[in-house]
This record gives sequence, structure tokens and C-alpha cells, in this order.
Amino acid sequence: MKRISVDIGGTFTDCFVVWDDKYIETKALTTHQNLSLGFNEALESAYTELGLTMESILSGVDSVRYATTLGTNALIEHKGPRIGMLVTAGYEAMVPLSRGRGYGEGLDELGKQNLPDAQRPAPLVLPHMIEGVRERLGFQGELVMPLDEPDVRVKIRKLVDKGAQAIVVCLVNSVVNPAHEKRVEQILLDEYPSHLLGSIPVILSHRVAGRKGEYVRATSAIVDGYLHSTMYHAMSQLEQNLRSNKYDKPMLVIHNSGGMAQLNSTDALQTIHSGPVSGISAAEHLAKEADLGSVVATDMGGTSYDIGIVVEGGIKHYDFNPVIDRWLVSVPMVHLVTLGAGGGSIASFDRMYNAVAVGPKSAGSDPGPACYDRGGMSPTVTDADLVLGYLDPTNYAGGHIPLNPKRSVFAIEETLCDDLDVSPIEAALLIKEKVDSNMANGLHTELRVRGYDPEDFTMLAYGGNGPLHCCGIASNLSIDKILAPPMSSVFSAVGAGNMHQMHIHEMSLFMVLYNDNTRKVFDDYKRFNDIVAELSARGQNDLLRQGMKLDDIRYSLELDMRYGNQLVQTTVVVPKHTLESAMDVMNILQQFSEDYGKRFGEGSQAPEAGIRINTIRVASYVEHDTVHFKHIKPIPESERSAPPEPIAKRTCYFVSTGAKATETPVWHKNDIPPGTEIVGPGIVASDVTTYLIEPGWKYVSAEQGAVWFFRTDAQN
Amino acid sequence: MNNETNNSALQDQELIEKFLKDTTLFLGPDPEIMRDHSIMPRTSDEERAMDKYTDLNQIASIRDRLQSACEEGFEMLEQMGAAPGAKWGDIITGIYSASGDLTIGSAGGVLIFNALVHHPIKFIIKNWVDEKTVGVQEGDGFIHNDARYGNVHNTDQSMILPVFHEGKLVCWVASTVHEGENGAIEPGGMPSMAETSFDEGLKMSPFKVVENYEIKRDLLTFLQNSVREPKLQYEDMKVKLFACMRLEKRIKEVLAADGPDALTACLRYTNESVVTEVRRRISEWPDMTVRTQTIMDSTLRENALLKVCLSVTKKGDRLIFDYRGTSPELTNRAINTQLQGMKGMVGQVFMNHVWPDLPRGQAGLSPVEFITQQGTLVDSSYAAPNSQSLMSIFHSFTVAQHATAKFLYSCPDKYTRVLAPWHNMINTFIWGGLNQHGETLGNICADLNGMGGGARMDRDGEHALSPIFATMADIGEQEMNEEEVPFLQLVSKKMTANTQAPGKYRGGMGYTMIAATKDSDQWGFMTTTQGSKVPTIQGLFGGYAGGSYPLCKVQGVDVYEVLLENPQLFKHSIHEIMNEQPFPNARYTTHHMGMGFDISKRGELYMISQGTGGGYGDPLERDPTYVIMDIEEGLISAEWAKKLYKVEFNETTLAVDLETTEKLRAQYREQRKKQGVPYAEFVKKHVKDHPPENIPFYGAWNGDIDTVYAGSIHDKRDAKNTGPIYMVNPKDVRIAELEAKLAAVRKDAGLPPENERK
Repeated sequence: MKRISVDIGGTFTDCFVVWDDKYIETKALTTHQNLSLGFNEALESAYTELGLTMESILSGVDSVRYATTLGTNALIEHKGPRIGMLVTAGYEAMVPLSRGRGYGEGLDELGKQNLPDAQRPAPLVLPHMIEGVRERLGFQGELVMPLDEPDVRVKIRKLVDKGAQAIVVCLVNSVVNPAHEKRVEQILLDEYPSHLLGSIPVILSHRVAGRKGEYVRATSAIVDGYLHSTMYHAMSQLEQNLRSNKYDKPMLVIHNSGGMAQLNSTDALQTIHSGPVSGISAAEHLAKEADLGSVVATDMGGTSYDIGIVVEGGIKHYDFNPVIDRWLVSVPMVHLVTLGAGGGSIASFDRMYNAVAVGPKSAGSDPGPACYDRGGMSPTVTDADLVLGYLDPTNYAGGHIPLNPKRSVFAIEETLCDDLDVSPIEAALLIKEKVDSNMANGLHTELRVRGYDPEDFTMLAYGGNGPLHCCGIASNLSIDKILAPPMSSVFSAVGAGNMHQMHIHEMSLFMVLYNDNTRKVFDDYKRFNDIVAELSARGQNDLLRQGMKLDDIRYSLELDMRYGNQLVQTTVVVPKHTLESAMDVMNILQQFSEDYGKRFGEGSQAPEAGIRINTIRVASYVEHDTVHFKHIKPIPESERSAPPEPIAKRTCYFVSTGAKATETPVWHKNDIPPGTEIVGPGIVASDVTTYLIEPGWKYVSAEQGAVWFFRTDAQN
Repeated sequence: MNNETNNSALQDQELIEKFLKDTTLFLGPDPEIMRDHSIMPRTSDEERAMDKYTDLNQIASIRDRLQSACEEGFEMLEQMGAAPGAKWGDIITGIYSASGDLTIGSAGGVLIFNALVHHPIKFIIKNWVDEKTVGVQEGDGFIHNDARYGNVHNTDQSMILPVFHEGKLVCWVASTVHEGENGAIEPGGMPSMAETSFDEGLKMSPFKVVENYEIKRDLLTFLQNSVREPKLQYEDMKVKLFACMRLEKRIKEVLAADGPDALTACLRYTNESVVTEVRRRISEWPDMTVRTQTIMDSTLRENALLKVCLSVTKKGDRLIFDYRGTSPELTNRAINTQLQGMKGMVGQVFMNHVWPDLPRGQAGLSPVEFITQQGTLVDSSYAAPNSQSLMSIFHSFTVAQHATAKFLYSCPDKYTRVLAPWHNMINTFIWGGLNQHGETLGNICADLNGMGGGARMDRDGEHALSPIFATMADIGEQEMNEEEVPFLQLVSKKMTANTQAPGKYRGGMGYTMIAATKDSDQWGFMTTTQGSKVPTIQGLFGGYAGGSYPLCKVQGVDVYEVLLENPQLFKHSIHEIMNEQPFPNARYTTHHMGMGFDISKRGELYMISQGTGGGYGDPLERDPTYVIMDIEEGLISAEWAKKLYKVEFNETTLAVDLETTEKLRAQYREQRKKQGVPYAEFVKKHVKDHPPENIPFYGAWNGDIDTVYAGSIHDKRDAKNTGPIYMVNPKDVRIAELEAKLAAVRKDAGLPPENERK
């Protein structure tokens, strides 16, 4: 297999190249003005290592795949066109009011609690750029008020006169009957034909999101419209770059649904968060390849701690209404939760409880932690790590960032020591203990709320600070097995390299499987089967259009189900895609009951209140070859070797041993061959991260750069 | 008297007390519990645990885990709850000490729910623990909704579970949901037609409904049989139980890891630390007294002016809220609140609007002292109906918010922005009947959560942001609602123009809702707010108050026929429909917003608007750019802008003429000065000895808190003993009016009086 996968982040462009049995990971700075420059630089390192040229590598690979946070950055930076919007008359304030709660989406708890400070984010569509059109459809798509076409023409012209560069249309109940939205599009094309220079792109909400909820569908369409031209130009540059370097296959773009598609089959909205989602996909693939069972993927960076869940057996966790930047949208996105905890998280004195608080404020990278010596005065997690001896001040981030321990000690002393009446070392230990406990709590809640026990999971720890804090976090939970994965510095790019081509189509509906009023069980099998067939056909067409073979296309059927009038919809993956008998219906009900009971507790099910399907979803996909990770399993204890002599010893302090100084051996990762076992305390440094082996834990190196951490008192 | 006589008297007293206890007819709300909002004294268990656990960072770690457990329970309630309230955040979970004090609540949801559940827990501790016919065992669950035992109103239901460790009760957990329907005289759980507490539906004093973690089917059936939505009753009792069980499970994990003493120490330290911090913050405020008031303009049944008074005095670390002078309670109207409901709402002021960084527990309000007169709207008696207690609760909130803003303004250390009062009424539709799927429903539109925010010291208020009692609440999605209810909001979210509360920074505004029943012939609406004539909130520091909002109805039309056959007739605003009256032969009427349950015919229009938060500062200081932005966004008209903000601009291009604007503003300031008079002169001219004769006024007048008026200048009463105040049924009033008219007509026609006719 020969393949290139790329994760274009805000700072770095990560590249992962598979060239038969060689796996190469490279990085370059992201070049925002032209993304292909950064990509070319990262790729150059790879093809040089392989002894190839740009053209030879690009003409030799089966695919080039991109995951990117470009869209997220464009949203944050507010770089987008002036959007005009048409909504159902009477709903003009729907978007500006953002369901009330929009002020707090994407903020931490205090931001949500602090009503006097509440401020909705700067709008992507200015309120005066929203016009209502006279029309109305009912909840089943029935006509309530016909579309007033002259009114539509007037409103379109009004928006164009006010400078609209793109028009988003979101009409109530358009997902069950898109006729009015489609007619608005035709009128707009009449008024501003696409062959003319003044043509205006139009985005219909029902094409972006297939679920009910007029506000979240509107924001989805807005975000899509807002990012469309930015993404189009950036991705086109990349595609052009590939073409001019002899790559003649379609460029593939990673979707936040956990699949990928060609550029011409991709909405801008689908690319948001595709980088972190690729990391979860890599975790999923790794879990399968290495028989890890259920995995919780954690990525601890400078400002945040991302958590994703991969459950054995293939149950996918999606967010159907994820928050992107500050916007609640409607798109099935692989579930990912982000906590405000990272190396830059600021520690402070909690006067109320006379204790240490960490985060959610972060020093970020500028000014960064106090030890960066760039003007940061607040003590951070990285400062504590430095004071505790875990970090080498001369070799942090591969030596690129020199650290000043005196600054760390000063910041900790100034902020915490007097109030807490402790030494800087003790205060640093409290910071470490607190941040680890915060992340453990977040992880704990994340798993528990979905009905899982942490002890059933392997923790995957990556990101710059992941291997440094993973033992501390796991110590707060009942997790006794951690894997710092191979290629962890380009882990999302690795995930992109293992994606399958996939399209998801879904339909909102009101399908009652058990009616508690009439006490009847669903028997309109044709209705169900026709919908599934239609959604499958749409996915099939998407894939056929991209050159896939009919025989290679697979389908997964998911039903979002609920009891009575509850909010929660449980996604049930149904193996049989057609209904033929009452037994088929009963099987679905049974599976729903089991999944629901696992999450909320056995006995919490409420079938007596009625059972219905709210969404039918078909994922159509084609599987591709994947990267192999079979060798990363830990070798048996009896075959493990002792570590070489350490390159240094450092005085460290650990939470479990208090303020007692511990002489701790230090190795460089390159000196540790696979199969080596090191019992903590110990430190293994690499250019991209630090592996901290806390007392009570041991380190076992594996193939492909993977590292395992086990509790010393556990069987492994 | 010698010692022997003393002992004998003591023994007699004990005997009598025992006799009285053993012969208690009815365990009603206990004033000892109900009137005390402070945290309980330390118990010996707590003393011992705190001696043992002194590491505050370990305590913090346990607290974080308990907080996380509350969030998990909250998520379960929100996800699994069937009530509309559950879906839009009208829920909460909490952990209570063994003595019953609320210690940790979920970050999201309605704090006041939690803040009041300590009362029923303390009732259970006092009465049921040792009661042989009840008892409190592991696996038991208690249900409760009666506001008189500690609740906002009876539409909220709580489930309470004791948590045991090795047979010993170590703490309590509870979950609460605004359920809506509760079998009251009107659907939806908040009847304004209730004339006695027996019209208010389910009145559950705390009782055991769960044993061995299972809901008792006989009691469940009884409760289902007592309400219009048996399905909702079933679903949400189960949901609340499982949320509590999840909390219990997490606490047991803490007990297993750290032991019961660590948990006890954590709960006690947490509450005591908050009390200490609140006292410290209070002491930072300037010593002074601030007086303020609001006026309620209806009882929800008839027009009336009812006063809510507040005087806040801060001295040292004491903060005293004195509500004396407030209108007496109304014996047969539902707008009274119990004392604890009012206090809980003041707690919301502190937790959400003054010190939002404080943890959401009971301790935050514990140091605040209250003075009230029993038998008033904010401290009503056991017998007074309270299903619309929100009215007096919300006014209590507003006066507290208005007064505290003045302390905060003068205090250098602020924990959030100083702001003008938030809009304080649930301008929304309550609905009920048979839906399009044949289900009987009774509940409320999520638009109640869209109250406009008050203007801030440095920025405008946010439009329709949040209710005063919750954060991150949701105003919902109509596409979802329409699947379950048989009416459409033909106008759902459109800003109501020219209802702004002006100021240097204007208040956040509300939006218009026009609803019409479509797919049911058994459906109706009600609205339950005040403020159709007198604004319910004030502005701050020269900012204006919010507007007043009537209910408008159009009857005798099927708008759905109009929309299909003559769609051009329909207008998407209240003022166009009411002024242009576009539907031939229809009836166009306006009403106050206390509409009792009204059976609606298909296609008849009910039109209301959400309200606006107060303005901050002098409107003449408003940046003209902001005025123009408001015009561009359709929030105000050009005419309105010119009139209130004195801004001159070109109405076509909206270009501001700054020079003329300055001139106009300077002129207006001069005009103000001319209108101004010295304070003593003003008092002489404006202050009257008694309320106007033609206005039914209730409450104290001119600061005399010992005497209150009861609807007439001829009806003055001793504030300490007002006696009953009965209002006449508005229908009877109307009948009497019509009979008088009829009598006059008959007399004019030379006919004998009605009662003499055969």
C-alpha cells in the first residue's frame, strides 16, 4: 500500500506516508497563505527519506487524504463572505436569538453561569441581512401557506442590494418537504443566473442537514455558506498542486462523520474538526488491529484535553448537534468532548475553599507558561511539571523552547505559596494533582454518562502533554492500561490514512413503532423499507459518482429511537435492513431496550410510554486498505528486557510520594528498544513529548514507537 | 419557686409536649423548618469528620467528583425527561448533607428548585425517619411537590433518596423537574383560576413512593389517575428516580474510596467555606440602605395594583432584606408565595446575577437575613393558594436585583457586570387538550425562557437570553414542538419593534409570538403574566423601564383558510393585524396577560410578546451609532429613535447628523432642567396622603409599613393582622355590570325590573 495522509492544523501540517512497509511521519509549519507550500515541505522530508521525488511519490500513491482545521480557524477568525439569509416570515429573529442559550455555547461553566456578562458571539449573518419570505409548511410537510414568489424576488433583491455574497435559505419544515426551498433556489437562479458574473451561491438548509430543528439547521447552512468559498479556494489550491505534480486521482477530504469523500462531494461543514475526528478514527483502527478492546482516546495539548470514545463492537458515538466554535449545528459528527485543561492551564488560589484551582483559563502559547520567559506571570501546569523535575529546561519541544525554571518557581510562589502556606514544590504537586484530577473527572463523566465503566477501557494518550500526565489521570480512575500510540505526533494524519470513503444520508420522521394510545405495533413495513432504500440509493450514487464499484459498497443502518416524549435519542445499529415481520420490529425494540438500559441503568426503559423512530440513517461506504499496527501489542513479561543505562538522573517529586525528593533516571526514547520494561519512577524523553513513569507504573516499549504504561500491581 | 417546683413544672411541660406530639392530627408544613433558610448547625458527626480530614485539597478532589456526579444526573434528567421543562433545562440535581442542607447542585438548571428541596428533606428527617409506619431505609424514594413544604409551585416535582453507608444515613440526593401538568383546575400545572389550594392539583407532601429502588405501582397509579398526563407522570417519576440512583451510585464510589467521614467533612467544609466567603463579600459592600419597589398590575384574574416593597440594609457583614410594606396576601387568588419561595428567588439573584462564580448551594444565601410580614404576597399563609406564586416571586427577584445593583456599583470588587433588572415574566403560552396524536397534554411553550436581559454598565442587554431563574435555558425549536402539539406558531421569533427600554445602554428585547390551533378541536391556551399596563421592571441609573405587553386575540376567523385562500391578508406582526384588522368579520380584542384557560377554535389567533430588560443610564448619552444599528435591525422605528434618543439622521441613508444631534440633546437637557423642581417641592406636589380613589391598590403607602390598603382607600388594615381579602369572581363582576345595564335599559323602556317579570 502506498498512501499519503495529511492533517493541516493551525500551526503544523502533519504528514504520514505509507510506502509499502515503510511508515514515515513528517511535519512542517502550516502556510496559511497557500496550504500547498506547507504540505510540499512536509512531503519533501518524506520523499527525501524514501529517495524519491515529488512527482514519483505523488504518481505512485493510491490516494492523498486531507484532514484540516482550516474551517474551524476561519470561523474563529471570522473570515467569510457577507451572507444574506431567507427564512420563513415570522422567524426573522430565529438565528440572532440562538435559542436563548447560544450565548453560552462553546464557553466554560463560568461563562455559561455568568448572565450579566453574557454576550452572544459576533454573528455570521448580520440581523439586517435576514429577510422573511411569506410561506409555511406544517410538520408533515403539508402546505399551510403557499410560497409568495413575488415576495421572494423582492427579498432576494433587497439582500443583494445590501451586499449579500452568498444566500442561505432555511424554511420551516423543509426537511420533510423541500419544495419551497427548491423553488426559492430556482427564483434566485432566475434573477441571478450562474453564468453571469453577479451570480450568487445559494445554500438550501435541507441539503446541509436532514434533521428537524430549524435553528440548528439554519446555523449549519450558515456555517457551510460562510466557509464555502474559503474552503473551496484553499482546497482547490491543494488539488491544483497535486495535479501539477502528477497526481491524477481524486483528492480525498476527511469528514467529521468519520469517513471521507472526494472534494466535489464534500460540504464545508463536514470538514470542521476533521483533524481531531481523524485521531479518534486512528484510535478505532488501532483498537481493532491490536485487540485493545474499548478505548478512550485522549489528546492533551497546550490548551485543551480532547476525549473520544471507541467502543468494542462498533457502536459509534455521534453528536447530532455539536457545537462548532460557538455555534450549535446539526451534523452527525463523531463525538468528541474538549476540556479546558492543558499544559498552559493557569493555576490559581481558590480563596473560598482554601485550595488550588487549575483552569479553565489558559496562558496559551503567547505569552505561554511563566517558564517560557515571554511575559507570562501566571503559574501553569507546564510550570508545575518543570518545577517537579519532569521536563528538561534545555530540551523542551526538541530544544526549540528554552525553559526558565526560576520564572516557574517565582510564579508559583507569588500566586499560591503564601495563601496555601506551602513550599513551591508542594504547590506544584497540588497543581499536578488538581489538573490530573480535573481531567480524570471529565473523562469519568464522559464515560459514565454513556453507561460505561472506565475500568473496561484502555486509555490512549497522545498530544504533547498526553504521555506526561496519563499515569496521573489514570491513577484517579480505575484504568490500569495506557497506550501512547505509535506515530503519536502525527496521530490524526495516521487516522486520515485509515478512513473509508463514506456518505451518510438521514431522514427525520415521525415513525411510531409502538403506539401507547392505540397499543398497536408498527406494521407499515413498506414505508420503512422504502425510506431505507431511498437513503441507500443516495449513498450509492455518491460513491458511484466517485468511481467506486457497486459491489464494493457496504451499508450500515442506524435508527435514532426514543421512548415517549423524551429528548434522548438512542442510536441503534440494525443488522437487518428491511422489515418483513413483527419479529423484525420486536428485534429492533429489544436492541433499543438493551442499548438504553446500558446507558441509563437497567429498568430505566419506558416502553409503556410509546416507542418511535425519529431519524433513519444510512451510512454507505467502501472500505480501503489500512495501515497495520499488529506489532504494537506488548510482549509477554517474561520476554521483556531491562532498560539500558539512563543518560541522566534528575530530582523529581511525585504526588504519590509527597514532597520527598526522588532521584529519577532519565532515558532518551531513541535508546529504548522495543520490548524494554522500565519500572517507575522514570522519565523517557523524546523530541516531541515526555513519557513520565510515575511510581506504581511501568513503561513497556513496543514496535513502531508505541509505548505501554501498566500499573505495577496489575496483571499484564 | 424552689428547685422541686421547677423540676415538676419542667416534667409537666415535657408531658404536655409528648401528649401533643403523640396526638398530632396532621403533619403540615413546620414553621421551624420552613422559615429557616440557613445551613444547619454542625453535628457531632461533622465535627469528628472535620477533625479527621483537614487536607482541603483532598476535600476539593471529593467535591469535584460529587460535582461531576451532579452533572451526570443532570444530563440524565435532561436526556430522559419527558416534560417539555426537562428538555429546555427546567431541572436540577443536588446532593444534601445528612442534616438536609443543599451542598452541591448541578451547574446547569434551576437553582431555586434545589435551594428549596432542603425543606422537604428536613421534614422527612424530622417526621418520617422514626415514624414506624414510614421509616427511611436504603432504596427508599420520596416524592414531593407541595410548595408549602418547600417548592416554588406545585408544577415542579422532586424525587428524594437517602444515601446510606453500612446502615447509616450519610447524605441525601434529589432531582427536580418542572413537570407542567399536575391535575389542577386548568391544564399545565399553573392555574391562575385557582381560588383555593384545592384547585391547584396534586398536593404531595413528602411521602414514600419508592421502596427497594422501585416505584410502588399502587401509588403511581393513584398519581397517574390524578393528572391529565398519566404518561408524563409515569415517565418522569422513573427518570427522576434513575437520576437519583445514579447520584447515589457515584456517592457510594466516593464512600468506597474515601470513607464516610471524608464525604461528611467535604459536605460540611463546602457549605461553611461558602458562608465565610459570602460574609467577606458582603463586608466589602458599602454600609447603606437601598429602598425600592415594583407594582404588580393584576391578580391574573382582574386589574389591581399590588405593591412589592424592599429595603436592603448592609452593615458590617450583615445584609438584611426587609420586604415589609408589601401587599397583603389575597385569600382567593393564586399569586401568593410562601416565604421560602421568595427567599429561593433572592438566592437566584445572588447566584446568577451578583456572584455567578459561587457554587450553587444553599450556603450562598445562608448569611442573608430576611424580615417579612406574615400574611403578605411574599410570605403567605398555609391556606392561601400559590399556584401562580411566580408572580410575587418574580417581583421579589426584581426588587432584589434592582437594590443589589446599587451596592455593586459602589463596590470596587465586582464579580460580574452591574446591570439593570432583567425582564421578569414568563410571557409565553400555556397549553392543553388533545393533540393530533390523540394524547391528552397540558404544558407550556419554551418561550418562557426568552426573557430579555438587562442593560449593563458598559453594553446593551442581550435579547431574549434566558429566564431569571436559569442559565443555558432553551427557547426551543418549533419544528420539534409541532410534532407534538396541534398548533403552529405562525410568528415564532420576530423582534417586537419599539418595545425597547431605552438607556445609554438599552435593555435586551423580546419577540412576538402568534399562535393558532390547527389539528385539534379540543385545545386551548392560557397566559399567566403581569405587566400589561404597568411595567414589571425598572431601569437603572436613568435607564428606562421595560414596556408593557397585552394579549391580543382574533376570533371568528380560521387563519388556516385565509393562509391558503387569501394569504396576502395575513400579516406577521401584532400591530399590523390589530391596526389593519385584515380578516373580515373577525373580532379583534386586547386583554391583560392573565388569560384563564381559553378553548381555542381552529385558526383563531393568540398574540403576545416576550418582554424587555431594563435600560441603563441616560438615553441622551447613547451613542448615535447604536441607535442607527437598532433601526437597521428593525428594533426601533426612525420616529421612535428621534423621540427618545434625540438623534437626527437621514431616514433614507441613516447617516447621522452629529452636530444637530448634540444640539437636540443639549436642548432637551435644558428642558429637563426647567421641568425640575427641588426635592421638597416635588414631594409636596406629588406625594399624596393615600392612594388614588379609583385604583384598587394593595400594600403600604408612604412608607407606613404598619398599615396596608386592601383594594380601596376605605379598606385600611393592620399589617400584622390583615384578615382575609376575597376578590369577586370577574365573571360575577361582569354579570353584575350587565345586569345593571339591563336594568337601566328596562327602566328606560318603561319595563319592570327583571326580578319582577313573569
